[in-house]
Amino acid sequence: MPGEALLFLFGTIMAAALLFMMVFFTIMFSDLECDYINPIDLCNKLNQFVLPEMLAHAFLGFAFFINGSWIAFAINAPLVAFNVQKISNNRHMYDATEIFRTLGQHKKECFIKLGFYLICFFYYLYRYDKLHKAII
Amino acid sequence: MNASMGGLTNQLNNMNLGGHSQTQLITVNLIGVPPNVGDLDAPPPLINLPPNSSVTQSDKANCEPSYKRCTFNSVPSTASLLSKSRLPFGLIITPYRSLKEGDDPVPVVTDTVIARCRRCRTYINPFVTFVEGGQKWRCNLCFLSNEVPSQFDWDLQTSQQANRWNRAELNHAVVEFVAPTEYMVRPPQPPVYLFVIDVSFPAVQSGAVATAAKTILESLDRIPNEENRTKVGFITVDTSLHFYSLNSNSSEPQMLVVSDLEDVFLPQPDDLLVNLTEARSVVESLLSHLGDMFKDTHTVGNALGSALLAGFKLISSIGGKIVVLQSSLPNIGPGQLKAREDSKALGTPKESALLQSAEPFYKKFAVDCSRSQVCVDMFLLGSQYSDVATLSCCPRYTGGQTYFYPAFNAGRSEDALKFAHEFAEFLASPIALEAVMRVRASKGLRMTSFYGNFFVRQTDLLALPNVSRDHSYAIEVSIEENITTPTVCFQTALLHTTCFGERRIRVLTLSLPVTNSISELYSSADQIAISTLLANKAVERSLSSKLEDARDALTNKLIDILGVYKSAITGSQGASPQLQSCDNLKLLPLLALGLLKHVGLRASSQIPTDLRSYAMCLLTTMPSQLLIPYIHPRFYSLHNMPVDAGTYGPDGIIMPPPLNLSSEKLERHGAYLLEDGQNIFIWLGRQVVPQLCMDLLNVRSYEEVHSGKVTLLQLDNPFSQQVNAIIGKTRESRRGVYYPHLYIVKEDGGDPSLRLWFLSHIIEDRTDTVMSYQQWLGHLKDKVK
Ligand SMILES: [Zn+2]
Repeated sequence: MPGEALLFLFGTIMAAALLFMMVFFTIMFSDLECDYINPIDLCNKLNQFVLPEMLAHAFLGFAFFINGSWIAFAINAPLVAFNVQKISNNRHMYDATEIFRTLGQHKKECFIKLGFYLICFFYYLYRYDKLHKAII
Repeated sequence: MNASMGGLTNQLNNMNLGGHSQTQLITVNLIGVPPNVGDLDAPPPLINLPPNSSVTQSDKANCEPSYKRCTFNSVPSTASLLSKSRLPFGLIITPYRSLKEGDDPVPVVTDTVIARCRRCRTYINPFVTFVEGGQKWRCNLCFLSNEVPSQFDWDLQTSQQANRWNRAELNHAVVEFVAPTEYMVRPPQPPVYLFVIDVSFPAVQSGAVATAAKTILESLDRIPNEENRTKVGFITVDTSLHFYSLNSNSSEPQMLVVSDLEDVFLPQPDDLLVNLTEARSVVESLLSHLGDMFKDTHTVGNALGSALLAGFKLISSIGGKIVVLQSSLPNIGPGQLKAREDSKALGTPKESALLQSAEPFYKKFAVDCSRSQVCVDMFLLGSQYSDVATLSCCPRYTGGQTYFYPAFNAGRSEDALKFAHEFAEFLASPIALEAVMRVRASKGLRMTSFYGNFFVRQTDLLALPNVSRDHSYAIEVSIEENITTPTVCFQTALLHTTCFGERRIRVLTLSLPVTNSISELYSSADQIAISTLLANKAVERSLSSKLEDARDALTNKLIDILGVYKSAITGSQGASPQLQSCDNLKLLPLLALGLLKHVGLRASSQIPTDLRSYAMCLLTTMPSQLLIPYIHPRFYSLHNMPVDAGTYGPDGIIMPPPLNLSSEKLERHGAYLLEDGQNIFIWLGRQVVPQLCMDLLNVRSYEEVHSGKVTLLQLDNPFSQQVNAIIGKTRESRRGVYYPHLYIVKEDGGDPSLRLWFLSHIIEDRTDTVMSYQQWLGHLKDKVK
């Protein structure tokens, strides 16, 4: 199997993992709204995943860039830029003292990312499938 | 005064059973008319509940505005009416307010019979209804029928049947229940005071250490300790931490030094936090020596972060208060800060970064404290940049308060007096411990945003390790569903432990009528509550975004409100030469202008960040009674005041009539007093008569008057006595611990910055950046559609 097909297979798996992560985030936020979890625990839990998510996503984007998969790279570049900007403003971590005030925003962001990863998942799968079939 | 007014309001309200209870909507012109500042003390519009709303005809059945007030006294029935009106919907709650002479104490229900709704957990209150022959009560929030508890009509003391209608919770909107063990997760905690005192060179040199130690020593009998359970401890800190072993068997304290700042540990497990009564003599010994102990120090540097972590280790198993007395910027160890103030950034969009916390340590620490019921109070006495913005995070999320004494120097008796007075009052204030607060409201209403010093632990649960006396909280409310009932109810419950070790629930019940008429909504609007809420929102906006955005949002709010008034109520369209409002909102533009010109919010490149941050702390914690003078100072003329002003009348000292804050009032030969609750100014015109200087300051002429911070002499002449009485009344009459400084300001020949400072309070005048009151009205009129 050539590299590019492998890359898209890897991308599919990563997108699925990120998708699950976003589902997890969404569930946690709705738990917070229902008072099943307190904001301190929520932030401690979610903050563990913030950087890994961003790193995984950035790595994937970088891999597409190296490989010259320009469309896949172009899809991912805005989110990478968004994440970099968040980190440079030191706003990437969830703050327990502000979480209720910013919950709406966080949820919206989470839903958008969820949709984004879902689209990515199908796009990578489609690309992988095409590349894979081309070999056979 | 306010409280008795509130009482009277309720009384009138309950007498008004006839049904024709519509508050009249009176339209007034704003442009060209000087605002009637005397009306700032007027009570809010009446609450016109339908007849027989409360089960008892008690005049205390509805909540007094000093405890809880809503931005309007009739609630819109639909979300669309609310959004059409553009009025903000919120509550201003001061659950733990101080009682002044003449205020009724909060009645206490001692028999631990606490009737609560099965479904929504509402506490029984004067607005429930009894059904099925009094066997059941119907909740006024969710309308579920609940069993009346079997002990409800039983008097435990006399073991006899008691009259239900005498129960405090059916007669009083503000009531306290003694809570049984179900309301405790552990036995009630004792009060704990852990003092963390900066003893680095600047702290010792300014006299802060000596003044603080002396004040604590003199206040030992006033610290709440009714049950002899109160614990105290001391940590002093410079570049290392000093603990004090206060064994009650030894007469002298023993100092233990810990130099490891990164991995903080306690040098010994016991005797660092001791019972105040048992260890009284050794505590006294420590405090009487503390002032001198470091007098030869040359250590510059402070490890506040390490001291806080150590203090937390010491008291987190119990909870309590960490009282920080800080005179320098913490610059070593965890949580170290930099002198980051950048005078070039002031007045630019970059300024908001300086108003935000520089270091996540303090916020994180505050969150840990909140979990362990630890409250932090900050006394900042720095002579240089103190980073109030960052250090105030600790009090903000733990229910404490920040106190700031810029350029403190105990060598000036005024500075020492102010700090000692406020610190002593702070130590003597009763506090509520390990508290949580929740506001419940009728179906269809939801609490959305919370402003004040606490940590939001659940969607609607506020955690307050300590409830500071006279702290106010603002809560925004939204309408989620249409309201079909004739009244709605807001019930605040504050579960807390008293200083004397009793678990109690303070319940505040406010019932308001519902309306579907926009004019009724406007005629019931409370300009004081609206201004308080807008002040909180403006501070929030300045911190999360920019100061400019906060000012714009405030201006737009005013334009919206006045625009709706014009189009929906007076029904006029197109351009008009006049700007109108209803009588009960006529001071709102003035108060908004006061906010726009306030040191916390105004556009200026001259305001040091510390002063701004401190003003913001005050704007978000003060009860309305303190906040309104803080944004619109009181101004009196002294040289021609009525003869009975400053003398005893039937209601205490008679105050002169308040003047408009306009320099037109400043006559050349006049003497004026201006106060905002934090500072008092006496302005002397350049042609003031020599006799007045003699009578007031004991100097022969205007030329000999020294401008600046003073203590006013008590001279043996009627004028001096009158002025002293007015100042005394000003210092005492308001809630809170604040003891304002007094400044003498000269029209010319004195300190020019002091003169400018004084003039910045004259808000009806035009300044170089902000318009005058009449220009502001003109601006609003032009923007109103
Ligand atoms: Zn209920």
